[in-house]
Amino acid sequence: MAGYASAVTKDIARWHSSGLIDEATARALTRDVAQHARQGFSFGTILTILAAVLLAAALLLLVAANWEAFPRLARVAMIFGIILAGYVGGAVASRRGSTALSELLFILAATAFGGGIALVAQMYHLSGEETDAILIWCLGTLAAAAALRSPALTIGAVVLGSTWLIMATEGLGWRAGRDIPMSYLLLAAVMWSVSLWTRSAAARHLLLLSLMGFAIIHHIDTDTLVAPIGLTIVSIALFAWCLLQPAESERWLKLNEGGAVQGLIGFIVGMSAIQFALYEEPEFIYVAIVVFAGVIGALLLGGRDNRLLRVLAYTAFVYEICFVYVVLLGSMLGTAGFFLVAGLVLGLLAWLIRRVERRFASAGAKA
Amino acid sequence: MNHARWLIPIAAIVALAQIGFLASMIAGRASILRNGTEVTLAVEPVDPRDLLRGDYVTISYNISSLPGSILGLSEAEEGAPYTVTVRLRRGTDGIWQAVAAQYGEAIATPAADGEVDIRGTTQTAPGDNLANIRVQYGIERFYVPEGEGRPIEEGVRERDYTMRVAVSGGGAAQIKALYENDRLIFAEPLY
Repeated sequence: MAGYASAVTKDIARWHSSGLIDEATARALTRDVAQHARQGFSFGTILTILAAVLLAAALLLLVAANWEAFPRLARVAMIFGIILAGYVGGAVASRRGSTALSELLFILAATAFGGGIALVAQMYHLSGEETDAILIWCLGTLAAAAALRSPALTIGAVVLGSTWLIMATEGLGWRAGRDIPMSYLLLAAVMWSVSLWTRSAAARHLLLLSLMGFAIIHHIDTDTLVAPIGLTIVSIALFAWCLLQPAESERWLKLNEGGAVQGLIGFIVGMSAIQFALYEEPEFIYVAIVVFAGVIGALLLGGRDNRLLRVLAYTAFVYEICFVYVVLLGSMLGTAGFFLVAGLVLGLLAWLIRRVERRFASAGAKA
Repeated sequence: MNHARWLIPIAAIVALAQIGFLASMIAGRASILRNGTEVTLAVEPVDPRDLLRGDYVTISYNISSLPGSILGLSEAEEGAPYTVTVRLRRGTDGIWQAVAAQYGEAIATPAADGEVDIRGTTQTAPGDNLANIRVQYGIERFYVPEGEGRPIEEGVRERDYTMRVAVSGGGAAQIKALYENDRLIFAEPLY
């Protein structure tokens, strides 16, 4: 974001000096760029969050490993102190305008809460469900995120929630017919609402990915195609909505214009599950055609102004070709044939990408 | 509401709520240790180690595997793990044995004098009709100082260890003390 802002600012200065725009316009544009650039995560913020994660990991390991050095009441007191100092200190930092520091302290405090749960389990030899412990940690972090309006804590809660989903599923041993945690859908809805309040687009993106994971878990668990088909339909609808009504959909979803990309990811994930289920059936070829059509359609309809979408579509195209090759042709041709086909496909793809990129470039120049 | 203006008091409330939750966990466990009925179980070793929580020995007890024949059915709950209530009675050797068990949070007949009901969970569904059923009571981990897991694990394998366990009125179990024959190896402080 910062890179883009500085590049545009340089361009504005150049346009001004070459007489393309007047002084007032140049100043207005520069101010606009500066205002909007601050919305994204800056490099410094990302480094701060990474630092917070490292410090948090150190804290957790200290709780776990060094437990003879301190008496245990001292360790409990230390955890309580970090929770209090982290949340209150973070709030003070936020009031003074240093967002990065406040988010770092919030994350440390939330980690100390999770460490505290582990510490109590260790103190009293609890061997209960780790899964429940992670859920409590997630809920505590989510409540803190909502109360303090912290985007970083929202992301933390989403990560913990996804971890809970995975652990709860692993506990089922991936066997069909067991109960999958449907309550994750409720949790996800709550986390989505909190993310709107805390203005964390990153948390919403992670949530969408975790919901795709949930659909796949549901598919594996129930051995039906309900979830993948549902996911595919919803993803197509999401893609179409983001394309047809960009302003409206962005106002509702607030995904930093990433809705179309999420739609394409969901489409690929859903269709992949369907393909895996049907790869020995005659219907497979029709599914593959739908995937090709979907990916190329997404590329042509939405790829012009969206580089990430283009890259994703190209990747999906290659992936699908490999998939079809393995299923349909793999048995007929040998290894040499594979290299031949791979070479031809890559050549075709390179040609296609060049054509598409040129078309978009010329269309962009005309617009 | 001006959220930013109230941020510091809100942060204090969040911190106190989380601290309060942890403190209530500790208080609950201390209360079981203080007030729970004490039973003695025979220890059988399984397997050690967990990365994040320091070192522990996984142990199992003489009541960890129950004969399916003593397990009474009740209306099935939704999904594993299933709650099981197990009734214990002191044997002549001082070790408590399972005398009855039932799915759900209680046994139909009330416990007699000298009997204690303990709550556990199992992955075995009602009606599976297995000869033996594994039950977990939440006391299957014994945390030891780092590096001391092996000696205890080996000791458990070679000698007779028993565990004093406190059981609350609601059936929750809490490790209280580990004995080698009659020698105290470890006792849990209240806090």
